[in-house]
Amino acid sequence: MDIDVLAHGIVAGSLYALVAVSFNILYRPTNVFNFAQGELVMLGAMIFASLTSLAGMPWLVAFAGTLVAVGCIGLVEERIAVAPILARSQTGTGWVITTLATSLIISNLVGRFWGPDPILVKPPALLSMDSLDIGASRISSYEIALVLVTLVLVAIVERVYRTLKGKAVMAVAEDREAALLRGIDPGSLGRWSFFLGAAFAAMTGVLAAPILYASTSLGPDLLLKGFAAAAVGSIGNNRGALIAGYVIGVTEAVGASLLSPGYQEAVIFIVVLAVLLLKPEGLFGSPNARTV
Amino acid sequence: MSRAVIPFTTQAAALGVALALPAFVGANSYALFVATQLGIYIIAAIGLNLLAGYAGQVSLGHAAFVAIGAYSVALLTVDHHWPFWAAAVVGMVLAAGLGVLAALPAFRLNTWYFAFITLAFALVFEKMIVEWRWLTKGFAGVVGVPPPSAFGYEFGPRPLYYTVVAVTVIAFILVRNVVHSRFGRAFVAVRDVEPAALAVGASPQRTKLVAFVISAALAGIAGAFFAVQKTVVTPDDFTADFSIFFLLTVVLGGLGTLWGPIIGALVFFLIPELLAGLQSWRMLIYGGMLLGLMLFAPHGLYGALRQAWRRFAPSPAKASAAADSSHAREHPPIAGLGLVISGLRKQFGGVQALDGVDLSVPAGSCYAIVGPNGSGKTTLLNLASGYYVPDAGSVKIGDVEALGSGAQRIAARGVGRTFQTPRLIADLTALDNVMLGAYTRERAGLLSTALRLPFARAEARRLRQEALGFLQFVGVADRADIEAGEIPHGQQRLIEIARAMMGGARLILLDEPAAGLSMSELERLERLIMRICGLGATIVIVEHHLDLVANVATHVTVLDRGTVLAAGKPAAVFNDERVMRAYMGERALKAGVPA
Repeated sequence: MDIDVLAHGIVAGSLYALVAVSFNILYRPTNVFNFAQGELVMLGAMIFASLTSLAGMPWLVAFAGTLVAVGCIGLVEERIAVAPILARSQTGTGWVITTLATSLIISNLVGRFWGPDPILVKPPALLSMDSLDIGASRISSYEIALVLVTLVLVAIVERVYRTLKGKAVMAVAEDREAALLRGIDPGSLGRWSFFLGAAFAAMTGVLAAPILYASTSLGPDLLLKGFAAAAVGSIGNNRGALIAGYVIGVTEAVGASLLSPGYQEAVIFIVVLAVLLLKPEGLFGSPNARTV
Repeated sequence: MSRAVIPFTTQAAALGVALALPAFVGANSYALFVATQLGIYIIAAIGLNLLAGYAGQVSLGHAAFVAIGAYSVALLTVDHHWPFWAAAVVGMVLAAGLGVLAALPAFRLNTWYFAFITLAFALVFEKMIVEWRWLTKGFAGVVGVPPPSAFGYEFGPRPLYYTVVAVTVIAFILVRNVVHSRFGRAFVAVRDVEPAALAVGASPQRTKLVAFVISAALAGIAGAFFAVQKTVVTPDDFTADFSIFFLLTVVLGGLGTLWGPIIGALVFFLIPELLAGLQSWRMLIYGGMLLGLMLFAPHGLYGALRQAWRRFAPSPAKASAAADSSHAREHPPIAGLGLVISGLRKQFGGVQALDGVDLSVPAGSCYAIVGPNGSGKTTLLNLASGYYVPDAGSVKIGDVEALGSGAQRIAARGVGRTFQTPRLIADLTALDNVMLGAYTRERAGLLSTALRLPFARAEARRLRQEALGFLQFVGVADRADIEAGEIPHGQQRLIEIARAMMGGARLILLDEPAAGLSMSELERLERLIMRICGLGATIVIVEHHLDLVANVATHVTVLDRGTVLAAGKPAAVFNDERVMRAYMGERALKAGVPA
């Protein structure tokens, strides 16, 4: 197999893993799978592109500004589109439709403001998108950095879950009412997780922008591949998401090089279906006991 | 189910207008074209509503199933000169078949997996239409789809319109029949209270599958007519926007209401004309509408109409079909099933909930399981009824090993159960909730139900009477036509017991039936349990209320921290020193507090 194909699969897979982790952050305490997540990633890329390329802000300032801005949008989404639905019924799936509606609203508003043209985003200082020609692979220093940063981010997120707050999140995911009795406020955790999940999505967008450009077409694409990584890696499992992200990224790259680029999505779709058929809970999860 | 708001006369008038329309507009007029298109969209929307509204499975890729129908007809009639009708059947079967293939893994999982997978399916399908140029002719699409013909007569716009109207009406009636049958009750149960569906023996997977097959097949038919009406089929016709459009149509009209898709489609066809200048804002408006409707009108325009109607003309307290609940009905005897549990173990994380429990429930007895909180009583019930899988041990129901069978299998074998908090389906009436209990006993299949064949109707009528009988038996016949969500807690418990009996249960597991009951309700419950036992059924009751246990139980087992502490006759067990210690602690025992 061409080593270059593999390398690019890993790079793309890192991005998918990050989207999957952002899904997980949001999912764990709320049991909501945000259909607007792809658009939040896109929004992060667009805001960041505007702040750096157009407004000329320094990299770090723009980075922080983007995360806070998109985090707040996530919070607004939770307040308007998710909390009222969950208040009506904990088990219903009305939020599938409301978060989808949110995604439509965000993507069309962004399309209105920014237009359809992709914006070029430069990598931060010291890194570049020029390929390095290491052996047979033509990978850039920025892409190598992205793969490493992804590993670090997943490790950090996993560490946070081991803290007291993290355990509270898991407790709520397990049993909302029992957690409530132990003085954990699921409402506040839900708000925080939407803020953090959205900010993480925005960060993914910022990291993806130098490679994929900032454009409105980012959203749907990353939504589905992020879902694929999250589902294959077992929902809620961040390390699983990382490995599944690589699997999806490499499968896609290999599929595209063997068949034609038009088959990218089809190949991923079939892999996801096959995994879910054989292991419904994903590759790295255990089947949940039903609770009555 | 839902009480009719649109009176029969209005329904007939709507059909009359639809049939009379061609007389007033030209055969090649825009109005007739739009009306035909409206019919096609309604067919697909009726299917999507059955799936998303009743069964709670939101399809975000419905355009793809319409596309499968449309492409099947276009390719088979243009390239292979098939007759329309045969091609339409192929389109229908392909839409359902491919859809099931893709969605199969999703049925076992959370409902949002289904939403994602249909979304991805539509996206992949859209790409494949373009990719497989040799088959689909790529972006150019299939041109010149011939109109349907029959007996050498080629359908012009008017006959095509009538055909579409006929198919719409047939689809509406078939779906209505299904919704009002055991399948419809199972859809709603799976949507709202999955444990209840399992308890009556309805497999959630199969139920979702049935809803999806009907829905995808209807989308396929809609697609077939779509192809002949537009005569050109291109990939651009079936984008993600088109799927959103269908979803919005159903949400706008009213999810889970029979008339919702029709109202939604009608309104939708008026709006674009009004919003012609706002074309580029369309998807933004769609998004805003979806959000607003879900937040403020979850049952759409139909729901709002219904609410206004009820406020305007509150329905007079209808005399129930069997309001006479003064005398308890006779019921044929029940052949109770025994239950033998041995060496049962179950661990949750680090907690050993059950640690090798043995107990033997003789057929026809009333067996109580008591014990302090956390002693594993409810876990035991959940293992016996198949909701949990044990780590080790055996559960014999009658003479058959039940271990490894799913909850719905065990239910079908004659095991009924109730839950700590009653699990009734709030949107269904008390009577429908009880009838749901008969799910596995009904013989009429999907087809005979949809067609309302005479034997299916007779069976439904008979079961209805039987369900009324059970409501009477438990003493709440006066609530038959009230939605379960509006019925007080204590009566919900009784209805749950009626549901279990309706399923032909010979072994009934009651999970803390006395919790939250008033004194008088408690007395009624006690009498009811004794009467059911008197009929011969076996009852296993998990309960904290020891007076109730002492009065009704023939045998008692006391659990403590996952093991059997004592077992035997109630009088003997309650005077056992270890039992008193477990219940009241060392000190209370020494102080000599009576049991």
